[in-house]
Amino acid sequence: MTASLIDGKAFAAQVRGKVAAHVARLKDEHGITPGLAVVLVGEDPASEVYVAAKHKQTVETGMASFEHKLPANVSEADLFALIDQLNADPTVHGILCQFPVPDHLDERAVVARIDPAKDVDGLSVMNAGLLASGEKGLVSCTPLGCLMLLRDELGEMSGKEAVVIGRSNLFGKPMGQLLLRENCTVTIAHSRTKDLAEVCRRADILVAAVGRAEMVKAEWVKPGATVIDVGITRIPHPEKPGKTKLLGDCDFDSCATVARAITPVPGGVGPMTIACLLANTVTACCRAHNLAEPDGLTV
Amino acid sequence: MPDQGTQTHAHDPRHVRGAPVRKRILSEVAGYVAGAKDIGRLVSIMIGDTPEVAVYIRGQARAAEQVGLPFDQQVWPGDISQESCKRRIQDMNDDPGVLGIILQRPVPEHINVRSLQSAIHPLKDVEGMNPASVGNILYNDVALAPCTAAAAVELIRETGLNMRGLEVVMIGHSEIVGKPIAVMLMAEGATVTVCHHMTRSVAMHSRRADVVVVAVGKAHLIGPDMIKPGAAVIDIGINQTENGIVGDVDTRAVTDVAGWVTPVPGGVGPVTVAILMRNATVAHQRQKAAGWI
Repeated sequence: MTASLIDGKAFAAQVRGKVAAHVARLKDEHGITPGLAVVLVGEDPASEVYVAAKHKQTVETGMASFEHKLPANVSEADLFALIDQLNADPTVHGILCQFPVPDHLDERAVVARIDPAKDVDGLSVMNAGLLASGEKGLVSCTPLGCLMLLRDELGEMSGKEAVVIGRSNLFGKPMGQLLLRENCTVTIAHSRTKDLAEVCRRADILVAAVGRAEMVKAEWVKPGATVIDVGITRIPHPEKPGKTKLLGDCDFDSCATVARAITPVPGGVGPMTIACLLANTVTACCRAHNLAEPDGLTV
Repeated sequence: MPDQGTQTHAHDPRHVRGAPVRKRILSEVAGYVAGAKDIGRLVSIMIGDTPEVAVYIRGQARAAEQVGLPFDQQVWPGDISQESCKRRIQDMNDDPGVLGIILQRPVPEHINVRSLQSAIHPLKDVEGMNPASVGNILYNDVALAPCTAAAAVELIRETGLNMRGLEVVMIGHSEIVGKPIAVMLMAEGATVTVCHHMTRSVAMHSRRADVVVVAVGKAHLIGPDMIKPGAAVIDIGINQTENGIVGDVDTRAVTDVAGWVTPVPGGVGPVTVAILMRNATVAHQRQKAAGWI
């Protein structure tokens, strides 16, 4: 292996440290405690794990965490009533509804109900539009986390060739917009792309987000490229029966022989997502109070 | 042999002309308007006296007349406050008689144009400038796209090329042209690369592209050596030069290499206003669906 490891776990801890320091300052100097409200509908076990992790980290950084659990059969009207109440609550600066929600609820409508200024997941049409318009909004957490890792690794990215594999609303599109804002030359590749390997070989920055285990091989990677692996596929563990193992979109061992730097799975992009959620909550709080935003926690 | 280049090229089959596309769209819109009862008016807002805008407004008024849409040309005083502008726009948002709002640019320096564009309700945003409209495009809801971007996409469609898997190179990453075009073509299955002033080698990208779209505002930036034989070249540039208005593409030279080229003038430009009218019909449908009218 020649590539250096991009340690997302350590970097996420740094981000949380910055968040905590800023939260402490907001409390000391202004008497303000940033607050994050998480809405969980139903009892999806994976969602419960995520929500618990978010709650724990929110509290650890000194912020207020508000959890709202609603039954799986909650009506849209009741869910919207709760969101409206959180929108109006001055102690709540960030709101997120944990997805997936039961089928009778429309995720886009749920996101649209959240005040864009409190949409710390950055998923609303308004925040997507603000990002694409080069204006201040809240940026979707996973792409924001990838951008932070890239900035830390590369510094100035202007003029670099960036290829993003995957064109999802959740990740590929906002990631492309962020890289364009950094003045990279950006290609968004996807399932319809003709010669994906060749497109990827152009990239100084290769971001893979398709969810196909180990699809990106060493031959796809330009020597010296920086590789960010967003994909997560869970497979039965090859050696430990009954256990599972996480795989990224990149064949880590082979790609690491060619790349300059690469994120592992797990421990790369993953830990950045919640860290950026906390960062967005502090950012939203500062904006709500017309206070200076913390440095390096948003675009 | 006499130089008859311009004449010859004017009828060159490789030239994708905007006029027929414009005509087709306007006639579709006219059909829609004729069947729509009590359709509201388009309001054009010019703030202060900006003569350079007059020619655009005239073009819009003419197109509106052609399709039968009432077109209300308002000129607001140059010293009007931001707050009053916003209030007037909000009143129009609430007025069922207003179908769509067009905010002409430039505006006086003390006016924040972005904030006013955000004040226009997305369902009346016929220019596709509100951040929510931009976000809708990003999320694949492309029916109310910025007019120039939509016009460029319309002309690519005109070539008959299948967008799926097509290599597109977009040169220029402006918020209202380059970025939305990239997103719209991506939604149709193209692999899109966005180049701009910081791109190391634009030619390296443009030479492998099936479609090159240019919107940078540099006369004749794109020459034949930058184009793959048979590619489609969509020219959005409008540059005033000693020799009149020219595009970002050296049209005459590129015509010898490309499969299709949009001329300037006469390519994307004429389609733009037609798209504005089509956007008005989309706005009407959405306002109806939302129970506003």
